[in-house]
Amino acid sequence: MSKVVGIDLGTTNSLVAFVSGGRPAVIADESGDALLPSVVSVDGGGMVYVGREAQRRLLTDASRTVYSVKRFMGRGIEDVKDEERWFPFKVSGETGGVVRIRLGDRELTPPEISAFILRELKRRAEAFFMREGDFDPEVAAAVITVPAYFNDAQRTATRDAGRLAGLEVLRIINEPTAACLAYGLDKRREGVIAVYDLGGGTFDISILRVEEGVFQVLATNGDTHLGGDDIDRLLVEMVAGDLGLDPATQADAVQAVRKAVIQAKWDLSEFDEAHIEVPGLAGRAEPYRRRLTRGEFEALIAPVLERTLGPCRRALEDAGLHASQVDEAVLVGGSTRIPMVRREVERLFGRKPHTDLNPDEVVAIGAAVQADILVSGRREMLLLDVTPLSLGIETMGGVVSKIILRNSTIPASGSEMFTTFVDNQTAVDIHILQGEREMAPDNRSLGRFKLRGIPPMPAGLPRIQVRFQIDANGILSVSAHELRTGIVQTIEVKPSYGLTDAEVERMLIESFEHAQEDVDARMLIEARNEAETIIAATEKTLRRPDFVEIAAAQLTPGEAALIQAALADLKQSMGSPDRNVIQVKTAALNQATQHLAEVMMNWTVQAALAGRTADDVAAKGR
Amino acid sequence: MRPDTSAIPIDPCKHCGAGAPVDVHFCPRCDRILTLGRHGDYFTFFGLRRRLRLDVKDLEQRFRALSRLFHPDYFHNATSTERLASLERASYLNDAFRTLRDPMARLEYLLKLEGFTPKESHDATTKVPQGLLEEVFELNEELEAIQDMRAEGASASEVALRLHAARQPIEANLERHEEQLDALMAAHDAHLEANEADARHEALVKLRTLLLERTYLTNLLATVRREAEAGEATAS
Repeated sequence: MSKVVGIDLGTTNSLVAFVSGGRPAVIADESGDALLPSVVSVDGGGMVYVGREAQRRLLTDASRTVYSVKRFMGRGIEDVKDEERWFPFKVSGETGGVVRIRLGDRELTPPEISAFILRELKRRAEAFFMREGDFDPEVAAAVITVPAYFNDAQRTATRDAGRLAGLEVLRIINEPTAACLAYGLDKRREGVIAVYDLGGGTFDISILRVEEGVFQVLATNGDTHLGGDDIDRLLVEMVAGDLGLDPATQADAVQAVRKAVIQAKWDLSEFDEAHIEVPGLAGRAEPYRRRLTRGEFEALIAPVLERTLGPCRRALEDAGLHASQVDEAVLVGGSTRIPMVRREVERLFGRKPHTDLNPDEVVAIGAAVQADILVSGRREMLLLDVTPLSLGIETMGGVVSKIILRNSTIPASGSEMFTTFVDNQTAVDIHILQGEREMAPDNRSLGRFKLRGIPPMPAGLPRIQVRFQIDANGILSVSAHELRTGIVQTIEVKPSYGLTDAEVERMLIESFEHAQEDVDARMLIEARNEAETIIAATEKTLRRPDFVEIAAAQLTPGEAALIQAALADLKQSMGSPDRNVIQVKTAALNQATQHLAEVMMNWTVQAALAGRTADDVAAKGR
Repeated sequence: MRPDTSAIPIDPCKHCGAGAPVDVHFCPRCDRILTLGRHGDYFTFFGLRRRLRLDVKDLEQRFRALSRLFHPDYFHNATSTERLASLERASYLNDAFRTLRDPMARLEYLLKLEGFTPKESHDATTKVPQGLLEEVFELNEELEAIQDMRAEGASASEVALRLHAARQPIEANLERHEEQLDALMAAHDAHLEANEADARHEALVKLRTLLLERTYLTNLLATVRREAEAGEATAS
């Protein structure tokens, strides 16, 4: 039987994980990297790049590179208007329809772009199983996670992306729920768990109850528009302000700034201060430099963290609980590495949150656990999710009549009676909406459909029962029949922000036509990934505040300079189309830093023995 | 969103054709999950009598046990008929649990089952129940007086105080209703156990009246609260 993997299709990074011999683990690529940046790029020749390589192209070819595509999944052009100036790529689409994103010479929908990411994860997993000598390395199905907040259109878009990538989506589960599975909290006999998930692009808070192995989401809340990206944006704005950059016209420069501030943000989770350095800016001989202390950083991001507290309180209220009734708190998302986030969560729930697992990996691991449960058919654990938004239909005067209330356990169903307004009317239009507001235009339009084939009768006589069914993935289907005659109506659903089946089929065919399996390009990407990993590790060591001290005490004279030279050499070769050049320079840097790596290892051990905390000294790559 | 062309219910087991009693969840002959075609009601689905005072812990346990039997997660490799049956049964289970868990939703549901048309509960929001006429009349006068006060520029705290006072009798009445409802529900359950059909019916008639009044009172309170919020909004 082919494999079923768990996938975290994230805004910033995506991961794939698998349970092998009872142990879930993320699957790294050939260079040992588990995080796949959710970035897709196309070059002039139509070659598609995904991940690190595409991320690199953000600096060189920003207008042909798409990131944060998850923000566009299942959304309309009017939803994303205000964001556009922050994205270097072109977004289009008709009002009230699917967003289209310009990628090279093509205009693609968000599910098609996400499918590139999923295809890469599928390939990565299959390569891993092949390396392991597995007789059946094929990956045909997956459990994919989505933010708890995702509406029907966004979940459907995620499932469509899976189909386009050749993956059967066995189940869509909420990210916070997956995190609980990763921590094995289902093994608690009884308890209330709060999952605080501050990722790249989304914030979710979920309150779950576990009782005798049944996991139930009591309430979810959050903000589809709050996360590490907002922190990055604040930092970018700060530096862009210093430099007088205009994001609309200087896309490449903004990307360079973004890269530098993200590095500083990471450093500040370990050190009390960091240096932002942006080299190679047009019109500046010297690189831009700025020192940032943890205190300054925390003052800057405090408003972002403040915005997470409202949804936390609302979720508790919806669950009918006080913060003190929460038994466990779980942290998810890279942004929860920030010490201030940990402090805030601890203060809110009055207990130390779980941080043992890598917060970037925890969701993918949970998805893998769920995939394993589905495949094995074990019943000791059952995940019951809820629908995050109420489902309703538009009635006379534009008022919404709610059919399935938010936070209802799914699958759930509801039905509504319709009749005709004129004699011999044979069709009725129905508008489906999702949201909490009273009036139809204030809610998310999921689709319109027409009930046809109603037997001709005097007005008001037909009794048409329309049944709405939300499945365990939170995806809606609709059926209808006329009760007097028992005739089943045909329903044509026109999804407002989704793709029809026919469109998905057509895209599948197109994707085969565009699939150019270029082995050389693939190997070049791998060489670059490997180089990237060692560059990052080396730079991180060089940036340590105590590096000068270590170098003076432990390195031979000139050794640091040699490392610097090898590093610069490799960085310069990164743009080369010849993978051999990159591989040779990578080996050279590897050689040059071998002694340094040993020194750092000893330094860490000695520091730990001297009673300093591992956090102060750890030189482990992130 | 995709159209679901699920078929209209058919009685026997779709796999082996065997018949099964209403609300047996799995075919007695072939053990396959049965489509939801015939089912009794939320109570029988859980294997419960139509009692109004349920042990919620027991209900939760039944819910979890049935979830473990029906959930679509366990049927993803099954035939499409079984997958559909699992989806329908799990949905029905969730809908049933949501209704029975809440005492008032449970009462409303039972009244509907027993033939008290739900249309009347809709009227409750528009038509004043007989027993509340005097109270509602007084409150409306008071609310008008408060609106006048506000129009004449009374201070926000003065208005708030008066609104608070206006709420008192309604809240007290609502509390009395809760107590009466509780006692009547207990009585209903006792009649059910003793097979006293007439007495039980009588209890249900009274329960319906009380429920309608309670709904009306709750809406009244919401109106006063909105009035208070509107006052705060204009004051700030």
